[in-house]
Amino acid sequence: MQSCRQRWAGPKRSTSCVPWGLPGAMFILYTFMMSVFAFAIQPEAHTGHCPYRGKHFKVEFRLEGELVVLRCPQMWSWAGISVDPHVNLTWRRNGSAQLVPAEEARMRVEDGKLWLLPALQSDSGTYICTVRNASYCGEMSTELRVFENTEASLPFISYPQILTLSTSGRLVCPDLGEFARNKTDVKIQWYKDSVLLDQDNKKFISVTGTSHLVIQDVAMEDAGYYMCAFTFSHGGKQYNVTRNIELRIKQRIEETIPVIISPRQTISASLGSRLTIPCKVFLGAGTPLSTMLWWKANNTHVDSAYQGGRVTEGPRQEYSENNENYIEVPLIFNPVTREDLNTDFKCVVRNTLSVQTLHTTVREASSSFSWEIALAPLTLVFLVLGGLWMHRRCKRRAGKAYGLTMLKTGCQEFPAYPSTIKEMI
Amino acid sequence: MRPSRSTRRHLISLLLFLFHSETACRPSGKRPCRMQAFRIWDVNQKTFYLRNNQLVAGYLQGPNAKLEERIDVVPLEPQLLFLGIQRGKLCLSCVKSGDKMKLHLEAVNITDLGKNKEQDKRFTFIRSNSGPTTTFESASCPGWFLCTALEADQPVSLTNTPDDSIVVTKFYFQEDQ
Repeated sequence: MQSCRQRWAGPKRSTSCVPWGLPGAMFILYTFMMSVFAFAIQPEAHTGHCPYRGKHFKVEFRLEGELVVLRCPQMWSWAGISVDPHVNLTWRRNGSAQLVPAEEARMRVEDGKLWLLPALQSDSGTYICTVRNASYCGEMSTELRVFENTEASLPFISYPQILTLSTSGRLVCPDLGEFARNKTDVKIQWYKDSVLLDQDNKKFISVTGTSHLVIQDVAMEDAGYYMCAFTFSHGGKQYNVTRNIELRIKQRIEETIPVIISPRQTISASLGSRLTIPCKVFLGAGTPLSTMLWWKANNTHVDSAYQGGRVTEGPRQEYSENNENYIEVPLIFNPVTREDLNTDFKCVVRNTLSVQTLHTTVREASSSFSWEIALAPLTLVFLVLGGLWMHRRCKRRAGKAYGLTMLKTGCQEFPAYPSTIKEMI
Repeated sequence: MRPSRSTRRHLISLLLFLFHSETACRPSGKRPCRMQAFRIWDVNQKTFYLRNNQLVAGYLQGPNAKLEERIDVVPLEPQLLFLGIQRGKLCLSCVKSGDKMKLHLEAVNITDLGKNKEQDKRFTFIRSNSGPTTTFESASCPGWFLCTALEADQPVSLTNTPDDSIVVTKFYFQEDQ
């Protein structure tokens, strides 16, 4: 039992304790009980190998020549770990058995953290922090990458921050950790594109005692790379610390007042037929997400009013035409009945700014035989006939006129007889 | 015999899924059934990410920015929203724990919420806009607001003292484009 317990501390070797002949369920139960035992009692388990509990999810990107402090990743899940005198916390570089010393050295452990005074590019690599006390032992790794201070390093070392166009907002000098314990001691200077921002600047205000840079009335051209920098005294020496920020400017998507653009106030339909009335709403540049659109029948929601499903709402559609947003919800009658003629149908649209409604009624088309359709070819026939008649009349008149001219011109030579003119036509 | 039975079972679960997702969004027209991803960051420029299945707020540098969690949103009403992360598979909720209200991440599908208004109330947040920023009050825990700590890499939580200087309750909240 004792040997099993000790072996459990190393997860790779724990399987040697498993009685392979037992069924799977027994194995799971056994492993579980062993793990409970291993955690609950014996302190001697942690004098040997410590289980590896994974890699810290963030990689630390820093600049050469600056002071860098790495926190043990396990400190996040165990607050106050570094101040607990019973906790033994050690650091080593991956692949090296040698622990980072606690005494005066460029790389040393202070208060459970790994200090690099200052960091060199050759420090890039993985560091392993081991936490050990009477009841717990665990190792976690964290990755550090140290870059040369050039423009090519900016995509790695920069923190993206976003502000909204035409408003005021703040940039924050991030991840100051140890350095910002006494914010009033740290005098942060702000740079935009490597140019120091003046203290008297009205647009950029560095708030003393904070790590903030307030930007008034943000404009598109305020986007770009910013840097906050300060010096930090440690062990009688001054070290530089900088953080880079890439500011992006976003335009705020405002909500707009929705406008119902269809249907018409009355819709003609014949009883017994299927009918679809779309309610179309114009939103302009506004977002469709928080715009609700629905139909009501005599002030009751369609779903409740027609539980049999004769009248239903169709699926909602959201689309854009010429960069303008629209939403549409159809009301579907299957079929139209006489009851619908006396019902008040209402399309309702609502967002945080406004509620709009549009009433529509269904009117019976007089019968299934539509006069409009029937009259169309008849009208066409009459028009053609009328046209032909007019054409003939015109031609006749034109002929008369021609005859009369002839008559006039010819009157000097021949006597004019209307009968002959008639014959000529 | 076995494979055909399993195929049938899969078919049934697929049909159930299709039917389920259709019923989940009734009334079909009123609200959008789809979820929309939003970017969220507090007025101190902290973004959200997961650490040991816990939602935390902090600063993400360079390539770490890919860890940022977008907030998936399905509105119930214009101001009432369901908030989720991880493609809407984990939803934010307010759960009472003693005198305190705690923010939980529950493994429910965001598009399935809203069928039972009372039961799903703990997932509902009231959005209020003030200038460019937004606050989120829990609908089931009135007076409790979504907040971050001033310090980075601390859990996103709920506070009933939104004006306290040690918490941040004002967020930028924009549709992810």
